[in-house]
Amino acid sequence: MIRRAFLVIAIVHAGAGAAAAQALSPRNANYTIDVRLDTQARTLTARETLVWTNITSAPADELQFHLYYNAWRNEDSTWMRELRLTTWWSAARARRAGDSAAIDISSLKVTGGAVSPADLTSRMRFIAPDDGNQNDRTLMAVALPSPIGPGQSVTLDIVFTAKVPRTFARTGVIGDYYFLGQWFPKIGVLDATGNWNCHQFHVGTEFFSDFGIYDVRMTVPQGWLVAATGRERERKDNADGTTTHRYYQEDVHDFAWTTSPDFVEHRERFEYPGLPAVDMRLLLQPEHAGQAARHFEGTRASLRQYGEMFGAYPYGHITIVDPPWNNDTGGMEYPTLFTAGTSWLTPRRDPYLDDTLVHETGHQWWYGMVGTNEVEDAWMDEGINQYANARVMAEEFSDGREVPRFFGGFVPWVIEDARWDRVTVGEYRSDYTGSPTIDIPSTPSFRYWPRTSAPMTYAKPALWLHTLERALGWTMMQQILGTFFDRWKFKHPGPDDLFQVANEVSGRDLTPFFDQVYRGSVVFDYGVDSVNSAETDDGQFASDVIVRRHGDGIFPVTILVTLANGEQRRFAWDGGSRWHRVTVEHASRAVSAQVDPEQILLLDTNFTNNSFTTESQAARAATKWAAIWMVWLQDQMLAWAFFI
Amino acid sequence: MKSTEALTHGIRLVNRAPVILGCVYLVTLLTALPFSLMMRQALQSHLGNSMMAEQVARGVNVQWWSEFIARTGPLGRTFQTTIIGFAAVLDNLSTLADANQRPTPILWAGALYLVLWLFLSGGILDRYARRRPTRSYEFFTACGIYFVRFLRLAPIAAIAYYMLFAVVHPLLLDQVYGELIRDVSVERNAFFLRLALYLVFGALLVAVNIVIDYAKVRAVVEDRRSMIGALTAGARFVRRNPGAVAGLYLLNAAVFVLVLLVYALIAPGAESTGAGLWLGLLVSQLYLAGRLWVRLVFFASETVLFQARLAHAGYIASAPVPRPEPPIVEQALR
Repeated sequence: MIRRAFLVIAIVHAGAGAAAAQALSPRNANYTIDVRLDTQARTLTARETLVWTNITSAPADELQFHLYYNAWRNEDSTWMRELRLTTWWSAARARRAGDSAAIDISSLKVTGGAVSPADLTSRMRFIAPDDGNQNDRTLMAVALPSPIGPGQSVTLDIVFTAKVPRTFARTGVIGDYYFLGQWFPKIGVLDATGNWNCHQFHVGTEFFSDFGIYDVRMTVPQGWLVAATGRERERKDNADGTTTHRYYQEDVHDFAWTTSPDFVEHRERFEYPGLPAVDMRLLLQPEHAGQAARHFEGTRASLRQYGEMFGAYPYGHITIVDPPWNNDTGGMEYPTLFTAGTSWLTPRRDPYLDDTLVHETGHQWWYGMVGTNEVEDAWMDEGINQYANARVMAEEFSDGREVPRFFGGFVPWVIEDARWDRVTVGEYRSDYTGSPTIDIPSTPSFRYWPRTSAPMTYAKPALWLHTLERALGWTMMQQILGTFFDRWKFKHPGPDDLFQVANEVSGRDLTPFFDQVYRGSVVFDYGVDSVNSAETDDGQFASDVIVRRHGDGIFPVTILVTLANGEQRRFAWDGGSRWHRVTVEHASRAVSAQVDPEQILLLDTNFTNNSFTTESQAARAATKWAAIWMVWLQDQMLAWAFFI
Repeated sequence: MKSTEALTHGIRLVNRAPVILGCVYLVTLLTALPFSLMMRQALQSHLGNSMMAEQVARGVNVQWWSEFIARTGPLGRTFQTTIIGFAAVLDNLSTLADANQRPTPILWAGALYLVLWLFLSGGILDRYARRRPTRSYEFFTACGIYFVRFLRLAPIAAIAYYMLFAVVHPLLLDQVYGELIRDVSVERNAFFLRLALYLVFGALLVAVNIVIDYAKVRAVVEDRRSMIGALTAGARFVRRNPGAVAGLYLLNAAVFVLVLLVYALIAPGAESTGAGLWLGLLVSQLYLAGRLWVRLVFFASETVLFQARLAHAGYIASAPVPRPEPPIVEQALR
């Protein structure tokens, strides 16, 4: 006798009456997916039901879908071609044929809604609107038998299989660890003009899709833990040794999941006055067992800070996935779920884990709720989030130190004297100052030079937002971003929407600033050229300070002159001319001068030249550091003396 | 003679010849000094009249640091925060273990230093083999004599080390390691795999190093002119005394690790100024002297072991080179 045990766990949770819950978003792309993972073949077999509503005022006569797993189907995809232009290419070349991925739709039918039932499988065709690459299969269009009018819906039934890649570009499998993002056919976004905003997969950009409800059943081997976007609603053990997990989430625009038999599960609850409680679930690698509290600490700090700065996190739950070593899925955000990333040996003062936790939690606001277009305006989620992330780090984890890793990257060493710094480290200032003209931020992100990501997508917007914070004050900055968040959450804002809110809330016309930092690639660099004092006939000193604008960028700055008796004089300069002179007549001579002494203009590419003193300490500083460096060199030579 | 006895004898020999330690220390210092002055010039020039210099003089200013790195040349780009304290030691050992490249100016410094060491090593071995003080002219004469011979040994050693770093290292720590960890998702396991491969590579490196060390010892002690002969004789000695040779090497290595551990505990940071800064630098220089002392103990103990094992203890083939007395002495003698 065969005994079949079916275990059904109905998970009751707050807000379980989901159907009755008030919609936070348009919910025009709703998915019900039943997917089975074959861990032997490393494939997914799935049936997807998509109910899509045209929320624009224009009819849609075709549908477009992202099939991003096809980016790694062959070497000629647009993604792979662009990869060759990056610094990651050498590592990617080590990949083998079996590491590739693919997604194939075997059937696509209309089963209901405004369009008559029809089999559209034969109408599917690959398109490449971005570059015309005929070998790229990451985008698919399907012509409809009849258009879908404004406000009308259509129901599609899609059967597909996907080959899971070896972890690559933050999705895939290594060992028994699966992290599955961009694994299903996902409909594009129809914009207000009736055109599809649907792009091929590019190496330097991420994703863009509509909000909706996801109801997904995932069948995996029994004993494997599953985490996904949403909450688990149901779990059922099957007779074939598998378990089906059902996850459900409303008002999100993507769905990712992970499964592994190795995860160790931890749960804690975030509670803070004035903010809704959040159930935190952590799936940790066994070798990171001692770091559970740290994961919750970082997530908790971010939920509190972002919640207070911008607005509440409304989902009530969040899942932190700790990926294993040697994977390529760490530091990735999806709605209500993200991957962090740590090391076996991680000193407490190493800020990397805290920074990753804060950053990825922060993406729940800037990406998750404010659904900007990551393909065209990647800086809007990454840059705003990097700015906020660095601010939270400064508030919560400012005791971090630089922690280089030695011997293959395994052995960390804390350099106590090298402290974490919000601007240089947190906002990647050196990435920006190293290549301030590499691209113009208003260029659609997918058309960026593939190595532009760090300086233009993360560093530059974080720095100019921080510059605004210093110029306008944090209170005003919080009002601007808070208003922008409140007005555009669960929608798809563009850059002009942010600029409009900034002008409106600040009551100033900040357009000239945005023109320079967003619509151009000007370089900001102010410097003090000289400080000279001459005694006048009346026994006074006339001190001339020459300040220069070395870059193209213009920003009003302050000039601070310090006199020998300690008195200081401040001068305002609109920063427009190429050089500017201020003269101080006083009984004391000027001993130093600074331009932008408070470092408001964080985009200034050279702070060293922002000041000038007649009593330079350069020789003292240089002697000290040259002596320290000499010890390093002597030690290096001694290491080589081994060979004699 | 046991390895432990060889080590203790070696330590005694090194301690009884502090001038040699002082000499190699001076060579280390003087080789590094010009490059350090170049670095000082680069730092001072970048800081110019900036008020930032005051903060930089106090400690690490990451803002200035990143600007300096972005605007400097290959030598300046070695000015990383890993130069501070014990991180410098880890950085250098890790660079060696992972066969990473250093910029050209640093390689020039290294090349100059190795040539100087090569020159001195004959005199050093000669001094330890004699087990009695030698006058400076004897020391440097031995240096000159063996320098020429060691220069003939150097290409063989260079080829051996080149093969190890250019062929064996990428094979083991890139290809084999890459294959082994391809599907490893537990960092601890990967670490131990890498550690095992470091040990394999390290064992090969030490094997070559030992043979070359004993080749030099035999060249000096037995006054060998043929370096091929010295090399084969060195290899023969290692083959016939594997336990003692390996044991002594391990003991020396243990002393080396001990010195590193002590420095790890007392290595100065970079926030001191004034007397504190100079005290910190003094500690660092004492550590470097300690490292040099360890290297000399290697030389001395290996010489002692060889002489003991082949009963050559009182035998020095190379006779002292006669040197005319200064005219004033000759006059007095007449």
